[in-house]
Amino acid sequence: MTLTNFRYGDVIHRCFRCGYCKFPINWMDVNNCPAYARFRMETYSCGGRLWLTRAWLEGEIEWSDHLADILYSCTACKNCEVKCPLSFNIDILNMMIAAKSEMVERGEIPSAAKEFLENIQRQGNPYGTSREKRDEWMEGTGIEAYQGQEYLYYVGCVGSYDTRGQETARLLGKVLQKAGVSFGVLGNDENCDGNEVRNLGEETLFEMLAEDNVAQFQGLGVQKIVTLSPHSYNAMKNDYPGFNGVFDVLHYTQLLQELIRNGGLDVSGGYNAKVTYHDPCFLGRWNEEYDAPRAILRAIPGVQFVEMARNRNGALCCGGGGGNFYLDLLGGSEDSPARRRVREACETGANVLAVACPNCLTMLEDAVKAEGLENKLTVRDISEIVGEACVIK
Amino acid sequence: MDIIACIKRVPDTSEADVVKIDPSQKDIEKDRLAFKINDWDEYVLEAAVQLKEKLGGTLTAVTIGPKEWDEVLRRALAMGADSAIRIDQDVSADDPHIVAIILDKVIRRLPYDLVLFGAQSEDFGSGHLGAMVAEILGIPHATLVINLEAEEKKIHVQRELEAGTLQSYTIDLPALLTIHTGINQPRYISMGGIRRAMQKELQVMSLSDLGLSLDALTPMVKLEEMRLPPKGKEAELITGAPEETAGQLAKILKDAGIF
Repeated sequence: MTLTNFRYGDVIHRCFRCGYCKFPINWMDVNNCPAYARFRMETYSCGGRLWLTRAWLEGEIEWSDHLADILYSCTACKNCEVKCPLSFNIDILNMMIAAKSEMVERGEIPSAAKEFLENIQRQGNPYGTSREKRDEWMEGTGIEAYQGQEYLYYVGCVGSYDTRGQETARLLGKVLQKAGVSFGVLGNDENCDGNEVRNLGEETLFEMLAEDNVAQFQGLGVQKIVTLSPHSYNAMKNDYPGFNGVFDVLHYTQLLQELIRNGGLDVSGGYNAKVTYHDPCFLGRWNEEYDAPRAILRAIPGVQFVEMARNRNGALCCGGGGGNFYLDLLGGSEDSPARRRVREACETGANVLAVACPNCLTMLEDAVKAEGLENKLTVRDISEIVGEACVIK
Repeated sequence: MDIIACIKRVPDTSEADVVKIDPSQKDIEKDRLAFKINDWDEYVLEAAVQLKEKLGGTLTAVTIGPKEWDEVLRRALAMGADSAIRIDQDVSADDPHIVAIILDKVIRRLPYDLVLFGAQSEDFGSGHLGAMVAEILGIPHATLVINLEAEEKKIHVQRELEAGTLQSYTIDLPALLTIHTGINQPRYISMGGIRRAMQKELQVMSLSDLGLSLDALTPMVKLEEMRLPPKGKEAELITGAPEETAGQLAKILKDAGIF
């Protein structure tokens, strides 16, 4: 069967599999595509996936569970797009998402992706946990509901439901309270931002989420949004304007950087550790914000900052993007990108691996346990490090 | 082959602590629950669509419920059903016999070779409905079907019993089957597909359109009370270093006679 709606049929043949899509910053190795790093087979690299998609498009191969797993193992980390030297590179990730869309329309997607999307349809989050429990993370924090404050603090699904994510959501709330920022949250009325829904190829569901969220934000008079997750930040900053939702959107590291710089947040409590930083794909490569998190870490007394060999637009993805923090198509191996990444963090001699994304936090923390590195390396979200430097208990 | 798939909408009660009994003590509080298609019915639709793709014919999806129940029919239409019928009556808390009488009236108006039901529903779970409808229609049936292969005039089925024991039957058509989970892998229904299915016909009928009135339908069984199970003993959480907790756990297991 050939693809019916695929938008890139006239350009997909232009990938001749030069292999640049697998490189990090330089030519140190070929393992910067997370799926390729995990499986070490060309089929799992961007080039391999494009060739498979083309073969599927032209009827040379049939759809199979394996083909679906290969396409869905793409984490949408954008390493391929940044490294591809050809002019059509702006579309190579979109080609992957369009191929996933075709699978979505045919209903033939990995069962974990089906579960992920159905859970969002039903409960507004990928875990399938009740909408009525979305606000449990904020119990006892004194964080107010949004009612015209300066900022809407959009927490997102991982921050609202994942136990570890909830800790960062709470701490960021406390940091914002301490800095005197005027903000409120949506609690149980918050819905999924849709970023991963889009990356999984469910275009219509993404449109519905974006339209609903934009209508809700506008109805409440929201003008400024600060997000915990870079995934939410990306959708709201780059995609929501297409749904007439133009807001002043900040990732929380951008707001904290500004607060520290203008004296609104006192971090003199310090944080004594050798810290390295993992760039989340949706803050880094997707939005080119590499400096704010680093500026925060450098501003905290006691932080000895070191870079990993792969950093900024050459950072290795934790393997959690494209819904893979839930689908887990890249797990179960010492070659899993998160495990590779924590080993790399250890090589710097750092004892703290700082992150700025709840997805990366859970992925990398699990990897530390899988690698048995608990005594050497702790994964902390920047909100937690700032919280400690602000002496928040 | 003409197929009728009978499906229902159920509350998502996958988390036990969201379930609360309402003051009547005959139903759960539904106001704040999310709803979905009955799990077994997803497999019904997939089986029906696969048969239709293979053998041609028509697929009609039927449900009985208020307006919100249209959503399960839209899913069926998005999956490949040709038409859908909703009987506009809330029977979710009624005795399955009443539901069976209504469905019998609907099914008799339609062409069919095969009628499919889920083996049971996630909410009330009686598992009676399919067999009752088959009896009233006077056609053969098989329950808990885990495998099926259709020919023009008959169908080969396998039923799954305890410990995975399989029973094979060949049944003359028309027949009714109740479908078990695991018979197939239900496809994902995209929101785009559901939106497109809004264009397809969805017929709404009343009980009087079927020549029935609710007053004349007497239940065979009557629900007396619903209640949540009493809370059991609390779980014991063992904390500490693995070298200590392993020993404590071993002692508990040994004391319980497990080792």
